[in-house]
Amino acid sequence: MLDGRLAYWRLGSPSPQTMELLLQTLINGILAAGIYALVASGLALAVGVVGIVNFAHGEFTMIGAFIAYLLFVGTGLDPFLSLGLAALVLFGVGAITYLGLIRPVLAAPELNQMLLTFGLSVALQNIALLLFGADTRVVSTSYQGATLSLGGLSFGVPPLLAFGLSVVILGALYGFLDRTRLGLAVRAVAQNRLAPGLLGIETQRVYLLAFGLSAALAGVAGVMLSVMLYASPTVGFAYTLKAFAIIVMAGLGNLRGVVPAAIILALAEALVSTYLPGGGGWVEAVFFLVIFVALTWRSWRAA
Amino acid sequence: MILVGLLLLVALVLPGLPLGEWRAFLLDTAQFAFLISALALAWDLLARTGQLSLAHGAFFGLGAYAAALAAPALGTLPALLVGGVVAGASSLFLGLATLRLHGMYFAIATLAFSEVMRTLVLKAPFTGGAIGLPVQPAFGGAFPLGGYYLAVGVLALAAGISLLLSRSRLHYAMAATRQGEAVARVLGVPVIRVKLLAFMISAFLAGLAGGVYAMKTLFLSPYDAFGLGRAVEALVIPIFGGLYTTTGPLLGGLIIVSLETWLRLRIGEGYLVVYGVILVLTILFLPRGLVSLFHRKGAGHA
Amino acid sequence: MRKVWMVLLAVLGLAGLALAQTTVRVGVLLPISTVAGKAALNGVQLGVDQVNAGGKVKIELVVVDDGNAPATAVPALTKLMTVDRVDIVIGGLASGVTFALSGPVKQYQPLFLCIGAASSVVEQAFSDYNRFFHYHPWDYHNVAAALEFFKYLYDSGARRVAILYEDGPFGSAGIQTYRQQLERQGYTVQAEPFKSGSGSFTAILTRLKGFRPDILYWIGYDVDALPIAAQTRQVGLEPKLIYGAPPAWPTGFEKNNLSNDIAGMTAWLPSVANNESRRFVNLYRRKFGEVTDEYMAPMGYVIALSLGRALEAAGSTDKDRIAAELAKVQMDTPFGPLSFKPSDTGRTRFQGFNQSIWLQFQYLEGSRRPVFPPNRAARPLRFPGNY
Repeated sequence: MLDGRLAYWRLGSPSPQTMELLLQTLINGILAAGIYALVASGLALAVGVVGIVNFAHGEFTMIGAFIAYLLFVGTGLDPFLSLGLAALVLFGVGAITYLGLIRPVLAAPELNQMLLTFGLSVALQNIALLLFGADTRVVSTSYQGATLSLGGLSFGVPPLLAFGLSVVILGALYGFLDRTRLGLAVRAVAQNRLAPGLLGIETQRVYLLAFGLSAALAGVAGVMLSVMLYASPTVGFAYTLKAFAIIVMAGLGNLRGVVPAAIILALAEALVSTYLPGGGGWVEAVFFLVIFVALTWRSWRAA
Repeated sequence: MILVGLLLLVALVLPGLPLGEWRAFLLDTAQFAFLISALALAWDLLARTGQLSLAHGAFFGLGAYAAALAAPALGTLPALLVGGVVAGASSLFLGLATLRLHGMYFAIATLAFSEVMRTLVLKAPFTGGAIGLPVQPAFGGAFPLGGYYLAVGVLALAAGISLLLSRSRLHYAMAATRQGEAVARVLGVPVIRVKLLAFMISAFLAGLAGGVYAMKTLFLSPYDAFGLGRAVEALVIPIFGGLYTTTGPLLGGLIIVSLETWLRLRIGEGYLVVYGVILVLTILFLPRGLVSLFHRKGAGHA
Repeated sequence: MRKVWMVLLAVLGLAGLALAQTTVRVGVLLPISTVAGKAALNGVQLGVDQVNAGGKVKIELVVVDDGNAPATAVPALTKLMTVDRVDIVIGGLASGVTFALSGPVKQYQPLFLCIGAASSVVEQAFSDYNRFFHYHPWDYHNVAAALEFFKYLYDSGARRVAILYEDGPFGSAGIQTYRQQLERQGYTVQAEPFKSGSGSFTAILTRLKGFRPDILYWIGYDVDALPIAAQTRQVGLEPKLIYGAPPAWPTGFEKNNLSNDIAGMTAWLPSVANNESRRFVNLYRRKFGEVTDEYMAPMGYVIALSLGRALEAAGSTDKDRIAAELAKVQMDTPFGPLSFKPSDTGRTRFQGFNQSIWLQFQYLEGSRRPVFPPNRAARPLRFPGNY
């Protein structure tokens, strides 16, 4: 069993095989970062702009996954084509959630907001369980197993599509945040939640927009997950956990740092999976270890 | 304070009350309720210094495993102490590392710690790993109510320490730390010592609760013992019941477990939806938690 | 005088009724919110309907959710025993939960009909308890059945097997045994752990390309089926057989082309050619409006039917008399013949099914058909598979 691994630790100049493996690993990592960045950006908007620790973010993802699944089962529509619809629906869901539940507790202590979103998360997850059962459901598309080969490297088509779409969507998001007035207002609120009120920007509208966008991004990620993984009431949980870790690593309120943080973490995961013996079992621990070290080291360095 | 005493008294005499055919079921449910309430009290202790931890699942789990592994050699009570000490020691490390972290950063760091701990316990050779660890019952099963009274004991200890701290000078030091560390330092509060002390006491109690839990369920698995769900429950209960008090986490824990159990028996499928809705409504209408129903004005100590 | 006659008649009539029909309350303790638990409950209810329709016995079910965790299951059992006062309990799906129940079961002494709990840790826990009837095969049976299939594949030319196992109790339990036994059969084995549900297998599968496995064997859950199938192809790993061993497969997987030629192991398929199975499928469809894939449904059905037979034979509600009759039950079931013998290790006295109920199936164009053992195969195994 060891010889397979020793082959990767050759002395001397790296052989073409080891280079290929390294490149492939890096590519795997970057492709995986697409969805991470999508979910994390959505969460960053909720936490950084509105200031809400949204425990129900994973449920927004889950709703997106179910929308894609149900459309597929009902009309045969390819999930990737239902992205737009999912985004719209989730924006609406996010807006309603904001108006009905979030706005009343904006002034309340942070912990109360946490309890609120936690209760919401429990309720949403279990409504899904009641309606659909705990079954894992998968869709069927022609390209699910397809792969693109360039040189000796292979790019799975679904992850490539997901990555490409994430780049486009996040590009649009950051374009919006950088270049439009509303976008700048959002960033201003993210950086300092008090000041904009004094400057007369309609903070309420900004909050509504940000929360709606947050849910829409989660929904889009959910659609992608329905293709690459499955749809079920619990599909959102693992990604949300990692999203929290990613935005904290980027720094709260730092909307731009989310993408690099997602890439770093996805790369770390890929490298561990490939090069560490038995890596599959350690990936999560390494992910969180990196977060822990980054947070604590940074805090001591700032002293 | 009176309410706390009353609740503990009821817990003490519960086995003797004429509960009829529901007795065994109530005692069983109560045991788990006491343990999660003790965990919630422990969490609240730490929260008073402004440190909102997601690591209490890990402290609980570490205490559970340490006590389970030590029990065959040391006997029940010393093993439980070992569990608490192990949890406390790990919290010293965590507390030192996270001294300069606050808010969400602190929470995520503690979460990361918890996940790493779980993986370590999963991979360690002597913990039974993924398959799990069978555990001896408390006192070798000699006393039928042994486990129950251990749970009462842990709860009473947690409540007692919480009350003591809220009446000591430490109470002001903790509140000052929570409200602003820089100002607290200026006022002469030894912030580092306060934070670390709170951490260790809190983790010790959590570890004790974990040890008793292990001896009740007779089987430990890393996914159950280190469950994130438990860490979140430890956070949800004090908010629901009333933060920075003793009555809050205690009452909140008992009510939440009772509510959950009652809903599960009554409604069956879908009971968690009602549970989630109740949580949401409670925080919308009782922002200070359940204890606000008792204290109309002013901040009570308990 | 007429009054006396009427009273006498009434009394005789009532006595006759009571003698003619034994009524028994049975507790059911299952994780109802999980797919397997719901299927099991459905099966039990279906079986009880059949038993009650026979008229000689009446079973009343008291159903309690065990919450799939010891903290909820233990109080739930306590409630069944002390509040509902049942003498018979059908339950024990998850191994960890069943282990935790062993203490209270031994305390309250019900007749315990165990529907799941394959882990031999549970066998150890109940080894000193005589009212324990374990229907489901033990994990060593599962391993033996899989190894039989591997031996067949070895004879067909397979030499290298890569095992992907999830790093929880389900995946890790048998891994050492598998590795040892497979190597003893002559295979070269490489085993890799993974986190179930993470969906990321590209790294591990890429690494396995150098190993060129003939068989890709994965032990995980339904959530891993599609990612593994998809990423195996994406990475260009071309095994001769993808063989999965999850407790269940995702809904809609058979409609997905990626499932073609993937093999798996199960105790039962709706298409099994067996009179009892066909009867069960029809009854289930009539009552629940669908055909279920979950083998826990017929398992629950079998338990209810066997209990019905034991009740009829015992003619009383005394749990020990019922247990004695249950021990003698011999019946045909959707899984094959059922009878109770001591377990292979001798630790428990009443073991129902063993490794012979396991069959290997293969997906092909939207359906699953048994392919091994040969005497139960509906069509030949496609080896190498076309992935």
